[in-house]
Amino acid sequence: MSVVVLFSIILLCPLAAFSVFSLLSLAGRNSPRQDLISTAAMLIAFVCSLLLFVTANPENPDHQTLTWLPLESVDFSMGFYFDSVTAVMLLVVTIVSSLVHIFSIGYMHGDPRYPRFFAFLSLFSFSMLFLVVSDNLLGIYIGWELVGLCSYLLIGFWFEKKSAADACKKAFLTTRVGDVGMFIGMMMLFAKFQTLALYGEDGIFAAVSDLGAGDLTWLSIAGVLIFCGAVGKSAQVPLHTWLPDAMEGPTPVSALIHAATMVAAGVYLAARMFPLLTPDSSLVIAYIGGITALIAATIAIVRFDIKRVLAYSTISQLGYMMLAIGAGSYVAGLFHLTTHAFFKALLFLGSGSVIHAFHASHQAHSHHDENGHSRGSEAPFASFGIDPAQDMRHMGGLRRKMPLTFVTMLIATLSISGVPFLFSGFWSKDAILVEVLYRAMSWHSVHHYILFCTAALAAVITAFYMFRLIFMTFFGEPRNREMYDHVHESPKVMTVPLIILAVLSFPIFNTIVNKGFFENYVKTPEQPHVGSPKHAHDSQSQGVLYAQAGLSVAYAAEDAHQHHDDHAAGEHHNPIHDKAHNIVIPLSFVIVILGIGLSALFYYWKKISAEAVAAKFRPIYNLFWNKYYFDEFYNGAIVAFTVASSRLFGLFDLRVIDGIVNGIGFTVRELFSRLIGWVDNTFVDGLVNWVAQITLSVGGRIRRVQTGMIQNYLLIILGGLVLLILIFRSL
Amino acid sequence: MFLSLMIFIPLLGMVVVLLLPRDQEELARRVTLGFTLIPLLLAVVLFMQYDRSASDLQFDFDTVWIKAFDIHYHIGINGISVTLLLLTALLGPICVLASWRNIEKGVKAYLALFLLLETGMIGFFCAQDLFLFYVFFEVTLLPMYFLIGIWGGPRREYAAIKFFLYTLFGGVLMLIAIIAVYIKGGTFDIPTLIDLASREGHPLADRTFQIWAFLGFFIGFAVKVPIFPFHTWLPDAHVEAPTAISVILAGILLKMGTYGLVLINFAMLPKGMELFCNGEGRWGNAFAVLGFVNIVYGSLCALAQKDFKKLVAYSSIAHMGFVILGLAARNESGMNGAILQMFNHGVISAMLFLLVGVVYDRAHHREIGGFGGLGSRMPIYTGITTVAFMASLGLPGLSGFVGEALSLLGAYDKFPKLTILSTIGIVIGAAYFLWTLQRVFLGQLNPKYADMPEINRREIVTLVPLGILTIVLGIWPSFAMDMFNEAVKGLIAPLG
Repeated sequence: MSVVVLFSIILLCPLAAFSVFSLLSLAGRNSPRQDLISTAAMLIAFVCSLLLFVTANPENPDHQTLTWLPLESVDFSMGFYFDSVTAVMLLVVTIVSSLVHIFSIGYMHGDPRYPRFFAFLSLFSFSMLFLVVSDNLLGIYIGWELVGLCSYLLIGFWFEKKSAADACKKAFLTTRVGDVGMFIGMMMLFAKFQTLALYGEDGIFAAVSDLGAGDLTWLSIAGVLIFCGAVGKSAQVPLHTWLPDAMEGPTPVSALIHAATMVAAGVYLAARMFPLLTPDSSLVIAYIGGITALIAATIAIVRFDIKRVLAYSTISQLGYMMLAIGAGSYVAGLFHLTTHAFFKALLFLGSGSVIHAFHASHQAHSHHDENGHSRGSEAPFASFGIDPAQDMRHMGGLRRKMPLTFVTMLIATLSISGVPFLFSGFWSKDAILVEVLYRAMSWHSVHHYILFCTAALAAVITAFYMFRLIFMTFFGEPRNREMYDHVHESPKVMTVPLIILAVLSFPIFNTIVNKGFFENYVKTPEQPHVGSPKHAHDSQSQGVLYAQAGLSVAYAAEDAHQHHDDHAAGEHHNPIHDKAHNIVIPLSFVIVILGIGLSALFYYWKKISAEAVAAKFRPIYNLFWNKYYFDEFYNGAIVAFTVASSRLFGLFDLRVIDGIVNGIGFTVRELFSRLIGWVDNTFVDGLVNWVAQITLSVGGRIRRVQTGMIQNYLLIILGGLVLLILIFRSL
Repeated sequence: MFLSLMIFIPLLGMVVVLLLPRDQEELARRVTLGFTLIPLLLAVVLFMQYDRSASDLQFDFDTVWIKAFDIHYHIGINGISVTLLLLTALLGPICVLASWRNIEKGVKAYLALFLLLETGMIGFFCAQDLFLFYVFFEVTLLPMYFLIGIWGGPRREYAAIKFFLYTLFGGVLMLIAIIAVYIKGGTFDIPTLIDLASREGHPLADRTFQIWAFLGFFIGFAVKVPIFPFHTWLPDAHVEAPTAISVILAGILLKMGTYGLVLINFAMLPKGMELFCNGEGRWGNAFAVLGFVNIVYGSLCALAQKDFKKLVAYSSIAHMGFVILGLAARNESGMNGAILQMFNHGVISAMLFLLVGVVYDRAHHREIGGFGGLGSRMPIYTGITTVAFMASLGLPGLSGFVGEALSLLGAYDKFPKLTILSTIGIVIGAAYFLWTLQRVFLGQLNPKYADMPEINRREIVTLVPLGILTIVLGIWPSFAMDMFNEAVKGLIAPLG
């Protein structure tokens, strides 16, 4: 089957599933088997994606467009673009989405809005797939905002909870701030190139390579602005605050949207826009990614809500991906996106399995509710409204009760911690560290050395807090005996997706989609040769140029060089690259041993008391606990300012503008009625009489409205008209 | 004659309704519905017959009306007016349905005035003679005045007079400008005047004259749009007007202002437009600045509102700002965006006012903070409201986005800084709609409304066509844009 047909099936199946639900709802009917409809639609989409992945030839990207708007001077087309990136993204999205659909059949069972949940999942899948296959910025932006809508609807799925209602609004608005930045970037590109299409002869990528050196700054600004969208969607600092709150949504949603796919869309965007990135904008991206990776990891250490830990972990991992792209290796970024999608979806679904079990036990013995709460508040730091079913301080020892959940989550944890060789996460994280170190070494770039250290530190912390989660949840003695007693392993419909994802967290999948595969499979888009010699092989000259003009030249040259080598030799034989590799692999061992070992000291062997350490480093602990005070700043400064200024404007409109209007009205009325009263008394004139009548009736005698006003008014108009024509004629 | 039929069938309907016996209210409603459905049917024919590849007037009809002043009954449509004509014809029956139950006193008079209003609106978009244009402009004013002043809310009299005086003030300036143009051009015929104004050396093409005439027309239309600072009649009129009248007000009457700007200021007075839109000199940014102010000021005011309807009214002001911004750009994307935005705003704001009406008819108040949790009680109503809100806040995939995005993309070319500043409105727009959504629909159900009945079938019927249009035009805007794209090309062609 041709690519077009498969694409259509992939897109239309979930859309149709959603439409069934909405049309039935509009008619006031329920859609009783929406779970099966949506899941089937998703499975069909998955099969088609698999077919595409296997059969399509990525060496030869498929690209089809049609005119969307019939404008002449500018180009608005819609279309799809199919290359290796598309193929991989389609596969990742459909796999995770299918598994989440299946998992949800168990997890959401019994929810009063059960069909609606699946309909929203379908709409989300459609939007996400649309985003992935679009060949132009406008299409990407459309899909981009639609996934935002679905995220909004699903975070607020249990909208009766105030926290959920707040969270969905926050998510939408925060990401919209980023999206507006992205839109401004699009306007810049559009004004310059008269199109938003990316590929093809008239596309932006082709046009960018013709830009002169003078446009470098302009291009950097545009690139950073486009990247703003990714900052919002992928929850990068400083727009990351919505993602932890988004955990108010049902856990399958957290797995699908807020871990595996939608939040990764930002990384996808950054990778797609790679040809637009200049050294300056790349560095901005790299720094944002690095800072995000570290900040989120430090916040994750001190969380007790199991989903919040995972949320911050997601932010941190997304930071890694951005760092990779900023460091010039979108291949490593996409690779990590792929591996992360599976192990993070697994972690979330696993936590969902735990939460589901706890909720079930909680509901069975609701009288323990208060008990649970009081325990929470006895803990060293009050639980601040954490759902007891998600509070790790209530868990412990669950590995005996939920062996499948435990084993699968452990695999995912080993993967995210980057345990060497055996797990997928190691390979992708290793790739990122190598790339960053490689740039640092080959360009003698202090920036990249700093970024490398940041990433390595964040990796240690990642291993630490992930094992903290495992130890607190599954090891030790149960902390809440009554809840523990009623916990059971989840049903098959939930555990089977966990097992599948666990398999995908091994490098089994990596042998198909490993870094090398990505490098050969993903066709490197054209690099921005902005005002640079295209082949500056000599690393010495690169260093000099880097020192002079930032990375501008080095990038293009380096990648062209590297890519050239890839093709020539089939594999890297770059001495610096090898050196970086030889440093990173042993380092990975150190990172993992350090992270897991420390975690075990704290939470398994309990040799060190976490409370004592927290007490000793109170200010730092508070900083982490309060999430660096981002929320306080936004609420106190930006939200408060906006609300206050809106009040001010509202009052200004009511009092000043409208006051002036009313004042003028009053004055004119008074003057007129006096004047006309005088005229009327002096010269009794028919026309003037009408005027007077009008003025008077307008002046408050509304009872007249229903009597003679129409005639008077029309006569005035006609009379005035005749008068004016006569006046002008005589001029 | 086709257009004349469209114009005068509602007028005929008015006569029929007035002749009906006093106590036959249900019959009067049905007759009115029938007389609004006929123009809709004709509009469908028009939609199919309209030649999308031509930029000049179609369905042209010209005959002398008042010989003494060379006033003609000249009607005809181009791509821009036909779009708005279709919108008017569509909203007619919807509004009749929306007033089915909630207008209780003086039903016949209400319906008769409504039909007169429809004649005025359809005529306005068809008129190709300045005098006729003005007559229809005023014909819409009177029924509107009574419809607000008699069937409105508690402060209806204040609102009606304010609306009346504002428009009258604008109308008088416009009238003076019309007379002036007539004196200079020697005719009221709009196509002829446009042609004359483009001839170098003709008195109409005189720059100073054009600038003054521009100002006269501009203020007349600015009141209608409404453009800051002539906007304060709008929130009052909306809040007091009955639901259906708010729909017409936002859906059509505001478009009369922007349509006038396109027809007269843009096409007939290009030198005036040039002065205020060319981005140079003291006045070069004036038009775009007004658009920007409308967007940001309207959005901020909307955010501050506690009354549901007032919020929607201020959001209208903000959305019309995008039209102004797009017009100021005077390029293909900006103009097309502006006209698309006119149509889309007509559809979306109509939906919004209908939706406010639904909840007002049940709760008898519009205090946003006075509801809460309706989402669990009225899922269908909540669903439709979400679609309308999302469309209004410019969510891609729904129609509101396309017009806004095109206007902005077009405007950025000429006024980058102002356009970037205007995007603040996009964020605030999302903020006030989502905040409203939260306060009205999310959270725990307010026990006061535990028995709130779900939206009924009649109300759904009024909303669904608009909802479908919103979705269709979001996905495939060419559906509408094909109608006016040629006309836009004709408009911007002289600009080179």
